[in-house]
Amino acid sequence: MSDVAVAQVVETHDAHDDHGGHRTSLGLSNMKLAMWLFLGSECLLFGALISTFLLSKANFITEVVAGNPNVTSTMPAELIEEFQAAGSVEPFWDIPFTSASSFILLMSSLTMVLAHKAVTEDDDLQTKVWLAATALLGSTFIAGQVYEFTAFFREGLTYDGNLFGSSFYTLTGFHGAHVTGGILMLMSLLFVAFRGKLKSDRAETVELVGLYWHFVDIVWVLIFTIVYLIP
Amino acid sequence: MADSTVTTEVAHDVHDEDHAHHPTERQYWVVFVALAALTAIEVAWSYLGLDNRAALVLPLLAMMAVKFLLVAGAFMHLYFDLKIINGRLFSWAFGFSLLLAVVVYFVVFAAFDKLPF
Repeated sequence: MSDVAVAQVVETHDAHDDHGGHRTSLGLSNMKLAMWLFLGSECLLFGALISTFLLSKANFITEVVAGNPNVTSTMPAELIEEFQAAGSVEPFWDIPFTSASSFILLMSSLTMVLAHKAVTEDDDLQTKVWLAATALLGSTFIAGQVYEFTAFFREGLTYDGNLFGSSFYTLTGFHGAHVTGGILMLMSLLFVAFRGKLKSDRAETVELVGLYWHFVDIVWVLIFTIVYLIP
Repeated sequence: MADSTVTTEVAHDVHDEDHAHHPTERQYWVVFVALAALTAIEVAWSYLGLDNRAALVLPLLAMMAVKFLLVAGAFMHLYFDLKIINGRLFSWAFGFSLLLAVVVYFVVFAAFDKLPF
């Protein structure tokens, strides 16, 4: 083989990585860079939503304890008494239930990385199994969130009743919407896998969906601690 | 033919190097067990009912940060792929955004005079 031919082969290997990504002068593919930038912007979005929630929560408790009718007029008397007695919103949360939801979402991150690993190894069956498991676990999390929202609504915490309710539903609702988006991406990947077109040359696509999915998991790690556990 | 063999070996080296940077399946499971254990400890800690706010909150925040780093570092391959010390642009982009988000958090709280310190 001539030197020119060897140089061409090596150049081809440099231009494409082994998982379907496209190497650039930055070191990794443009798609991956775009995903990291997108996730960076998502940090700002959720940072603002979490800050807003914490501010409204602090003001809410102060106003409820003080008996401000502008805040309490839309809430049932039992709920007001519960908040006033505790001096916080913590008795309102169902921690065991939310802990189970958190565990399910953490488990879905594991199944996601296993799906990525399987697709890089061209293991079709494992790829389908782990992608389906991830979508199923994500759906279970969403079902839990729907149940939780319904329970809170029935107890008197509405979206438009006060700022606390608005910020809580906006924060957790946005997160739920992101999880739902992730489930749609996973279902699309699963569809491609069942058509036999999800091979190792498309592993980067699975990795990008995985990055998004893990980011959603990370956001829930923050929400679970900051919103539910810290009084 | 000898040249061809060398080229193939180089390609395999690149391939193996890429895989060497990713955790093994066993490591993924270990990370998951650590995450599950930390979540269980967090929940248990919140049920202790500690009167000292710092003693209650600081360990919870520390465990949250560890979980954050475990997911970002191992599952998102940040530790393996995006070593900030290597100066790769996207790791800086994400890191800067994360830092900016924390700054936004404190600015919002300062604006409403609700800083925790």
